[in-house]
Amino acid sequence: MIVAQQKPLEEIMGMIANAEKVLILGCGTCVTVCFAGGEKEVAILASQLRMATRLAGHEKEIREFTVQRQCEYEYNEQAADYVRDADLIVSLACGIGVQTMNEQFPEKLTVPGLNTSGLSQPTEQGVWEERCQACGDCILALTGGLCPIARCAKSLLNGPCGGSQRGICEVYAERQTPCVWDQIYHRLKDLGQLEKLMEIRPPKNWHTSRDGGQRKIVREDLRL
Amino acid sequence: MIDYEPQVLAFACHYCAYAAADLAGSMRLNYPPNVKVLHLPCTGKVDVIYLLRAFEKGADAVFVAG
Repeated sequence: MIVAQQKPLEEIMGMIANAEKVLILGCGTCVTVCFAGGEKEVAILASQLRMATRLAGHEKEIREFTVQRQCEYEYNEQAADYVRDADLIVSLACGIGVQTMNEQFPEKLTVPGLNTSGLSQPTEQGVWEERCQACGDCILALTGGLCPIARCAKSLLNGPCGGSQRGICEVYAERQTPCVWDQIYHRLKDLGQLEKLMEIRPPKNWHTSRDGGQRKIVREDLRL
Repeated sequence: MIDYEPQVLAFACHYCAYAAADLAGSMRLNYPPNVKVLHLPCTGKVDVIYLLRAFEKGADAVFVAG
């Protein structure tokens, strides 16, 4: 899922400094599941901002609303009345939600209350680990289902490098991040597919990733 | 500040803390009038937003007993 983390309260206070009526707009999909921008987090942030602005000497009117999915116009329509009444919208969605709101309601500025932090898997309660960088040319079939683009600090395609020590990556060693190329080797060994590592491959085609600029998918069969 | 009396809100569990407060009442024991007791079916129902709302509405301190 897309995961995100809330920005520091001081940063959000700075963004709303010139507004009187502020709408905190949550998203009911990915950021709800990762406890960053759902209905509950909206309520908590709104309460914190009411108290913080009161303590700062001028309490602002903070309203709350959460849509099912902030990256789609149809859902955001439900928030239209709240948007109309607000001077500024603080979005607790990922960066896609923030931009959808700005496109859909250009007369109002929507600012981000979260930092979008990746495409991650919840590996245990309260822990999210990055698993995908959306490179657009998936190679998981070659690597035993482990992604070296997202999980290797250098996104190497011919690892492990010399910084792999006893199965641990040297980058931020205190994090004890497993070396994904060490994991790939052992995984392919367990699968009896070590010969995959011996195949000569052409360089990865990065034009499907960010190298070609902003990506766009058009499905003619789905268009109206 | 000498006259300052903090407003304290107590979230009390029906099965233990509230029963204890009830018993204290039956025994005619006193507790300060600036403590307001909120009766909950279980303190497992307490959520961070309840605590924040209590502060928003003017509580100076909140305690959860259960």
